[in-house]
Amino acid sequence: MNMSSTRHTLRLAAVLALLGAAAFPIYWMFVTSLTPSGNLFAARPQLLPSFSELHVYKDIFAAKPVGRWLLNSAIVAVGTTLASISLAVFPAYALSRFRFRGKGAIGFGLFTTQMLPEAMLVVPLYALFAKVALLNSLGGLILANTAFTVPVVVWILKGAIDGVPLEIEEAARVDGCTRLGIVMGVVLPLIAPTLAAASVIAFFHGWNEYVFAQTFITEDRLHTASVGLAGFVGELSTPIHSVMAVGFLYTLPAVAFYLMVQKHVVAGMTAGGVKG
Amino acid sequence: MSTNSLELEAPVTASTKPAARNARLDGHPLMPYLLVLPATLYLVVFQIFPLMQELWLSFTSTSLLSSGQSDWVGLANYRDLIGDPDFRKAILITLVYTVVCVVAAISLGLLSALLLDAPFRGRGFARAAVTIPWAAPPVAVALVAIWIFNAQYGVFGHVLRFFGLESGALNWLDSMNYALPAVLMITIWQIFPFASVVILAALQGVPHEQREAAIIDGADRLNVFKAVVWPTIQPSVMLLALFSTIWSLRRFDLIWLLTQGGPVGATNTLVIDVYRRAFVNQQLGQGAAVGMVGVAIALVVTVIYFKYTARMAKAEQR
Repeated sequence: MNMSSTRHTLRLAAVLALLGAAAFPIYWMFVTSLTPSGNLFAARPQLLPSFSELHVYKDIFAAKPVGRWLLNSAIVAVGTTLASISLAVFPAYALSRFRFRGKGAIGFGLFTTQMLPEAMLVVPLYALFAKVALLNSLGGLILANTAFTVPVVVWILKGAIDGVPLEIEEAARVDGCTRLGIVMGVVLPLIAPTLAAASVIAFFHGWNEYVFAQTFITEDRLHTASVGLAGFVGELSTPIHSVMAVGFLYTLPAVAFYLMVQKHVVAGMTAGGVKG
Repeated sequence: MSTNSLELEAPVTASTKPAARNARLDGHPLMPYLLVLPATLYLVVFQIFPLMQELWLSFTSTSLLSSGQSDWVGLANYRDLIGDPDFRKAILITLVYTVVCVVAAISLGLLSALLLDAPFRGRGFARAAVTIPWAAPPVAVALVAIWIFNAQYGVFGHVLRFFGLESGALNWLDSMNYALPAVLMITIWQIFPFASVVILAALQGVPHEQREAAIIDGADRLNVFKAVVWPTIQPSVMLLALFSTIWSLRRFDLIWLLTQGGPVGATNTLVIDVYRRAFVNQQLGQGAAVGMVGVAIALVVTVIYFKYTARMAKAEQR
């Protein structure tokens, strides 16, 4: 009995250490944002936030177009999510339900696109977007991002559709539903948790994306939060607690959103056979 | 290759395969093509076409300043790379970065998944909280990491100095010896939760009766793990290894913002090198050639993976 209680204590200690390590940088971002300037460069770091410093969060909105940045990121993220899901649903259904020539090639093609780094395709995509006036446009960013999320989303949705019993579809067909009606009205509601998971992954991609947003956008009012925040690297005129406040505002929605739908993400990813 | 790619889904869909076979019998024969057409066209325009253009660029001497004129130089860019010590170093850095990322992320992921698999109070909360790093935007992570690693005021240096370590006086991200370890630590922190989540999900498939039977038989923990747990989670771990490899080979924003590949190329992975050659040195052709080498490496890893899993599947059938 004693042995197992020691083991239990050890396990709890390990779990606490793990959670501490996982949360620390985010916590540190928050603490730094609420550290008075005088203490930022003290010999001993301040370990707890000073809530009297909360005005920093008001001040940065006046000093930098933080609201604009976050709004642009949100537009890109939501646009990427909507475009990815609408493009991915039907191919996912086809890959799950049909056998057809070229299916293997399409599956492999989808997988191959996972190997292409954004930083490499940024040159040809820039040239392409310049020709069709998609530079300096959030729509252009959405188009570029969606190309990188569609393959993943297709894989995840396909895995979930695989798990929907065919009998349910057949019953709907007997009732006179069209194929489109079956996909929209029967299959999609059944895989709602996986749709949520795939949406989170697409949303994150759009919210986090940096290379295209940095290269394709030159107009200040169209900058996303990733680019605005990256602009602080090596810049010395903005105090570090303001930088961390912007970073925290940019991190918080992503983490909160993720934690809200976290269960579905895990379930969805597992259903997709972990296509990541 | 094309048929093997379906191995990806094999573990999950094996039970539903016969049903899917029947499904082809109804509907117009062109239906599946119609369904995959929009996404395929989209990917051709925004992925395949740019890839082909990049391939073409790699055979030219195009520069960012004079992108209007580009002379065909054949394999000259690739030949230059062979003799280029910076490029050789980039390959080495990429391999070290990728291997350490994959091994460490999966080991940590496995360890944390085993920890979070056993029942304890607050397990649901712990399982959610451990994934926080994965949800944090890389740009924000880079920024706070730069602050944490600050030589004078960063908390990392404070801790090292507290333990009397001399390296605490350095800014790790600016140091020839410590920049790569620092970038690795930050990357692993960010990616291990993904491995943890995936392995934790796979652990739910471990047969409980077998596990308990093995324990009753007096097998110690390591043997139970080897005999019962590992065979169940092995396919997931393999797939994780493949994806982590590919993602590590193409990771850009985190490394770029932390070090820009420096100091003196200490963290210059191939993808950073592509960007550096194209946008800093303005040699688009050279950058494209480096990019192609990177894609080739990813392709080789993938082929090895599929060959390996195919052989494993065959061995199991026997």
